[in-house]
Amino acid sequence: MAEKEIKSIDPATVEMIEKAASEGVSIAFERAGKMTACPIGAEGSCCSICAMGPCRVPLPRGKEETPEEKKKRRGVCGATAETIAARNFVRKIAAGTASHGDHGREVAKVFLEVARGEAPGFEIKDEQKLLQLALDLGVNIGNRSNKEIAIDVGEILMKEFGKQEGELLMLKRAPIKRQEIWRKLGVAPRGVDREVAEAMHRTHMGCDQDYQDLLLHGARAALADGWGGSMIATELQDILFGTPSPVASQINLGVLKEDEVNIIIHGHEPYMAEMIAVVAQDPELIAYAKSKGAKGINLAGMCCTANEILMRHGVPIAGNFLQQELAIVTGAVEAMVVDVQCIMQGLVEVARCYHTKVITTDRRAKIEGATHIEFDEHKAVESAKAVIRAAIDNFPNRGDKVRIPSYKTDIIAGFSHETINYLLGGLFRASYRPLNDNIINGRIRGVAGVVGCSNARVTHDDVHVTLVKELIKNDVLVVETGCAAMACGKAGLLVPEAAAQYAGAGLASVCEAVGIPPVLHLGACIDNSRILMAATAMVKDGGLGDDLSDLPVAGAAPEWMSEKAIAIGQYFVSSGVFTVFGVTWPTTGSKAVTDYLFKDMESMYGGMWAFEPDPMKIAKLMIDHIDKKRKALGIDKARERVLYDMAMRRELESV
Amino acid sequence: MADKVEKKGNKTAEVLGATYENGKPEGEEMGKWRQKLGNREEKLKYLKTGERYWFGEEWYGSEKRKNPA
Ligand code: SF4
Repeated sequence: MAEKEIKSIDPATVEMIEKAASEGVSIAFERAGKMTACPIGAEGSCCSICAMGPCRVPLPRGKEETPEEKKKRRGVCGATAETIAARNFVRKIAAGTASHGDHGREVAKVFLEVARGEAPGFEIKDEQKLLQLALDLGVNIGNRSNKEIAIDVGEILMKEFGKQEGELLMLKRAPIKRQEIWRKLGVAPRGVDREVAEAMHRTHMGCDQDYQDLLLHGARAALADGWGGSMIATELQDILFGTPSPVASQINLGVLKEDEVNIIIHGHEPYMAEMIAVVAQDPELIAYAKSKGAKGINLAGMCCTANEILMRHGVPIAGNFLQQELAIVTGAVEAMVVDVQCIMQGLVEVARCYHTKVITTDRRAKIEGATHIEFDEHKAVESAKAVIRAAIDNFPNRGDKVRIPSYKTDIIAGFSHETINYLLGGLFRASYRPLNDNIINGRIRGVAGVVGCSNARVTHDDVHVTLVKELIKNDVLVVETGCAAMACGKAGLLVPEAAAQYAGAGLASVCEAVGIPPVLHLGACIDNSRILMAATAMVKDGGLGDDLSDLPVAGAAPEWMSEKAIAIGQYFVSSGVFTVFGVTWPTTGSKAVTDYLFKDMESMYGGMWAFEPDPMKIAKLMIDHIDKKRKALGIDKARERVLYDMAMRRELESV
Repeated sequence: MADKVEKKGNKTAEVLGATYENGKPEGEEMGKWRQKLGNREEKLKYLKTGERYWFGEEWYGSEKRKNPA
């Protein structure tokens, strides 16, 4: 992987990187330049799972490996490069599934407490979604109260984590043909935790040492994320906090305010953030902020917690993953309030150079040197107030190094799959039919899911934005989550006007008719399950095949960095979706493992992985796949006709 | 509902009235559509129609066919 020269395409990020450098502050952008990634670990050829190692079995560089050399590439125990690469890959999936699963379990716990009346301050906000889950799970509705129904729903879903036998209940939502594929391959997950635990056991020293068998279980564990932990988290959060519907807001560091108490909420689980969003409007707290010389309290989000409170409260976003340290570098952040996942330990060091308080709030994620104010859902309002007060108390400590970049961009976010269904057809004719029709008639070429993180090893936001612009230019409707959505938000792609400016004529005409942007923000990374549901609705509506793998769709995580991304990618592949990752690929140390993931998986799941760091080439891979699927469906001709536009026809007639 | 009759050439055509609400939603209300469903009965009815892929009375679309393609 060549070292990049330009650190970011986002001017606010560049401005703050320069400020950090001039003030001698160490940040991830600078550390990535100084520390080269370990090439053996990067290709998945380092095994450290027992004390006879770590064993390093790198692929010879710059030449074809001889059979003799291949034979020698083994660990002390005799483990092959295949076993080592597959074990490393499956462990990444296990960690990703565990993270989303633990998120889902925590939501289920809070959900049950709310239903039982043990978490004052929270309520069941979305009765319709509750009824939806009740119907899904066979819970009796009748004249029962929402709380009674919610207790049954919560108890059933809580059991999904520890279930040992059978199948996860949410698998039934998938197209019937897809369910059959999973059963035939033996990868239908039993319980979320069961598959994670088994993945850790299989990858223990001296256990499963057949790379194909390991990767089969990897698929099972990943499905326990997408159709299990993640889906449960999304659904229960929707019931508690509301199913997202489109909301207008703004994004980038320019949303911080010089004369207000700035609080950034960062992480992934939204309970604390939800309560802070509500409590920050308390007149008593606003008056307290004024008593300290501030004009008010300004909340802004970061990473996926940001997506959650953006979609439900319109709270603006300060930035994506790689901007977390930079927000502190503005010198204008009183508190960086964090929950779980993707929180750089570097925050504390950066905060020491300014006045910012880093406040950890979750019992599972403490950071040395940070202030810990634990969120207690039984005293949610008090917990949120304590955090806000700590931030207000810190306002008078602001130094003279304040500089907030002026950049901020308008965005529209909150396209849940239910909302897309509604927007396409209205309340009385809600339907995915118009989307399918426009795919069949060729105005829309296909749909791409572009998701995932930002990564300091590539030019920040560039891969996302270049890829997405190329896709929409080619009439591919893009759905996004996570930091990918934020990158495109900053580039002005999440507003309806972007259709006329960037999209191909076919896609632009549909976006204009429906009134949607060409790039739809579907939420946080946990909400990739919404993409699974939207794709399932497309299959079920008809005309585009019988299975997710028949659809003209493709996925990408072009700036990925976390283990969760690998779990997400694998559950999309195992659900039948062609998925391209950028930056680097963690199994290149074994050609057999990489071929299995990139080629063999297609004949098993209908979807497969690919690796390509160049955004234009990623776009080509995705579009080629979409066109391959269009051809298989027999709708490739329709698109050729659409491409023959009016201007061309007139030209022809004038001859 | 026909609320207007328009003449075009020598043909008379009935113009259907709007089936949507007047005006353009603004601010907070912009995207809020779920609140339009008032009571539980309406919500359940919507699930059976709007979310018919999962809750319709019979199988839907691609899965309705006896012999899948
Ligand atoms: S399990 Fe085998 S390859 Fe891995 S560290 Fe131990 S001896 Fe080395």
